[in-house]
Amino acid sequence: MIKRLATGLAVLWAAATASYVALLLAPGDTVDILVGDGADTPEIRAGIVAEWGLDRPQIVQYLAYLWRLLHGDLGRSYQQQRGVGEILATQLGPTAQLTLAAAATGVALAGVIAVVTAGRGRWLRGAASAAELVSVSVPPFLIGIVLLSVFSFTLGWFPVSGAQGPQALVLPALALGLPIAGVLGQVLRGGLERALEQPFAVTARARGLTERALVARHALRHALIPAVTLAGWFTGTLLGGAVITEVLFGRPGLGQVAMQAVTGRDMPVVMAVVLLSAVVYVIISTLLDLAYRVIDPRIRG
Amino acid sequence: MKRLTPALLVLTLAACGAPTAQTVQSTSLTWAIETQPITLNPQLWAQNKVRLLVFNQFDALLSKAEDGTFRPWLAKAWQVSDDGLTYTLDLRDDVTFHDGTKFDAAAVKANLDQFLVPGYNPAVAAIQLKAFDRAEVVSPYRLKIMLKEPDGLFLDFLASPYAGQVSPKSLKSAKDLKFGGPDLVGTGPFILDRYVQGQELHYRRNPAYNWPPAGAAHQGPAHLSEITYRFLAEAAVRVGALTSGQVQVIEGVPATEVNLIKKDPNLALQASLNSGTAYSYYFNTSHAPFDDQRVREAFRQAVDVDAVLKSVYQGTATRAWSIVGKKSPFYDATLENTYGGDVAKANALLDEAGWKQRDAEGFRVKAGRRLTVREVASAPFVRDRRDILAQAIQAQVKQSAGIDFQVKIVDQGTAQKALDENEYELFGNSRGDSDVGAALNLILPAKGAINRTRFADPQVDKWLATASATSDQAERKELYAKVQQAAVREKAIVFPLYVPADQIAAHKSVQGLGFDPSSGTPASAYDVRIGT
Repeated sequence: MIKRLATGLAVLWAAATASYVALLLAPGDTVDILVGDGADTPEIRAGIVAEWGLDRPQIVQYLAYLWRLLHGDLGRSYQQQRGVGEILATQLGPTAQLTLAAAATGVALAGVIAVVTAGRGRWLRGAASAAELVSVSVPPFLIGIVLLSVFSFTLGWFPVSGAQGPQALVLPALALGLPIAGVLGQVLRGGLERALEQPFAVTARARGLTERALVARHALRHALIPAVTLAGWFTGTLLGGAVITEVLFGRPGLGQVAMQAVTGRDMPVVMAVVLLSAVVYVIISTLLDLAYRVIDPRIRG
Repeated sequence: MKRLTPALLVLTLAACGAPTAQTVQSTSLTWAIETQPITLNPQLWAQNKVRLLVFNQFDALLSKAEDGTFRPWLAKAWQVSDDGLTYTLDLRDDVTFHDGTKFDAAAVKANLDQFLVPGYNPAVAAIQLKAFDRAEVVSPYRLKIMLKEPDGLFLDFLASPYAGQVSPKSLKSAKDLKFGGPDLVGTGPFILDRYVQGQELHYRRNPAYNWPPAGAAHQGPAHLSEITYRFLAEAAVRVGALTSGQVQVIEGVPATEVNLIKKDPNLALQASLNSGTAYSYYFNTSHAPFDDQRVREAFRQAVDVDAVLKSVYQGTATRAWSIVGKKSPFYDATLENTYGGDVAKANALLDEAGWKQRDAEGFRVKAGRRLTVREVASAPFVRDRRDILAQAIQAQVKQSAGIDFQVKIVDQGTAQKALDENEYELFGNSRGDSDVGAALNLILPAKGAINRTRFADPQVDKWLATASATSDQAERKELYAKVQQAAVREKAIVFPLYVPADQIAAHKSVQGLGFDPSSGTPASAYDVRIGT
């Protein structure tokens, strides 16, 4: 466990340093970014340099940055002139809500489709496959627009945006969850079908187990391993997709903060979002390790 | 998209004692806006599109009419000394900030002095308040402002969001002074009570409000009891939210949706040209090929601006003929139809300038070098489909004159680097200053802060300096006409394309929507009401 913690910290330090170096290597210096598109005079530049401490040696600025991180201080946003920690704190909740709802939607849909279609007739499998392919290949932006046009603008079942109440969460969660359902559904079905051809399945059938019980009790467990392995990819898709989904639906959250920060080169915010993603990955991969042990007893040894 | 609920308006009667002749209505409105504010502090205001929010919460000292004249607001009257160095303001004595503190001369002085705090707003301190020396409280409601040198644009500053008056108490106590928000309070018709980043801003009516700017459509408190601004960045989503009745007003109507809205009998569309400079291409005159005036003129002749605007904006854009926008009182209309759209002339000019040969791809070459001009644009500042506009122009100049126009949309740092290192030939820009003189002072003088043409002409510098120092509007108009003639016609350093505009679309039940007369951007919600 200590080893795992050390690895986690190393990953975080690497992410912090990599984003810092990326900022250094990016064209244009920080002063240019802070000046923006407006007036640019020597006095203005001098004021900015003094205010942000940009005249100190690079290594000092880097160490100061790490020191602040260690103390939980994520710095101040160039664009919004507020503490980054505060910005993230207010936006974390809505994003967590959205991504968890999307993940649940994706997993539930994939599970249902896979269990219903695995090993069934060619026609049913083909239809499910096609639907999955569409949900994966159509950009989330387009899925969102279509969902909005149909269910919000035309039918009026759901509000266009905002984060008030569970109703406002349905369309964004669906837009974000559908591609996950697509990929996960295919993997799960493939795994189920392979498992159903294994010798243990033959034995179980011979013992008089019904096909449904076989899928639920035995095959699903085998099929889960590759699906769980995908969870890393899954997290990335959710975080990336949240950017588009939140901007499109006018929802608060880290996605739209990241979007604004990247286009405005608001580096303290960008770096904090990168760090936060790294933290999420470390946590997810730890949980995955634990999940493997639960699903497959052979790994426990 | 036909199902139209007749606006989700909450109409309830306020419980306010015995019925009087006129019962106060409680009305609320939802308005979808495109742009999220970078800051809600008026003194750090950076986005023209956020003007409508600033003037809900804050009042400025003066207001400015469309013809460029100034009118009273929180200052009832003002006097400028003969030498142009002392401004005396007489303030209203009946104004209270949202936090209950009194508005007076000491408050105005505190607001002006705030700009002198290092790092607070270095850009305003260095440009708009360059001439500011000190402010002096003469009596509770009279203030003297001393300048170091005459500044004809100082009244414009007093009428801008920067002069939005903030309670001195909240200047000290606000949690996020630079961002503003609910705890940075003003005297405006609405009180900001909720800000959810990425989602919305919510204001409620200031019941004590009784000091609108001269020219407002009514007196007393605002008509609406509540207003919510929702951030919907995607144009198609804004329009869908409007047509389905989920919001009652939107701004930023894309050209592709204009006809849909015009055809809908339940909706009304309004548009207004912005103040400031027109969106123009500025030619970098410091190196080849645009150091040669013939090439600059040829580029302008090679483009059929009307056709390009029609295809990109479907007839909704207003063609520009001068660096100065059509809305400005200083616009020189004699420049209209003086150049452009003559392909034969473009080719003759380029032949004359020595770009005679063509390479295998049809581009002109001279001494082994292709006639290439590069534009670098910073992505966050690309709006109004200017990237598509550039592509259309790119196709035209290639086809009609063999010019290789390369358009690069990059991040801000990369764009700034190209500008610093003089690695560009063409630069696109428009500015929304309410007095166009402020913009010209940044763009045209040899030492101008954003002189990206690198053009220098002592005569132009002198005209601009004289125009800035005087507040005689007739004299300024004459001087700025000379400047426009020089920049556009005589030296051809600029290629004006279109005058930026703002649009509002709303349900017909929403009345009193309009545009800020000085900027042409949507006005605050003070006069907005729901009715027939």
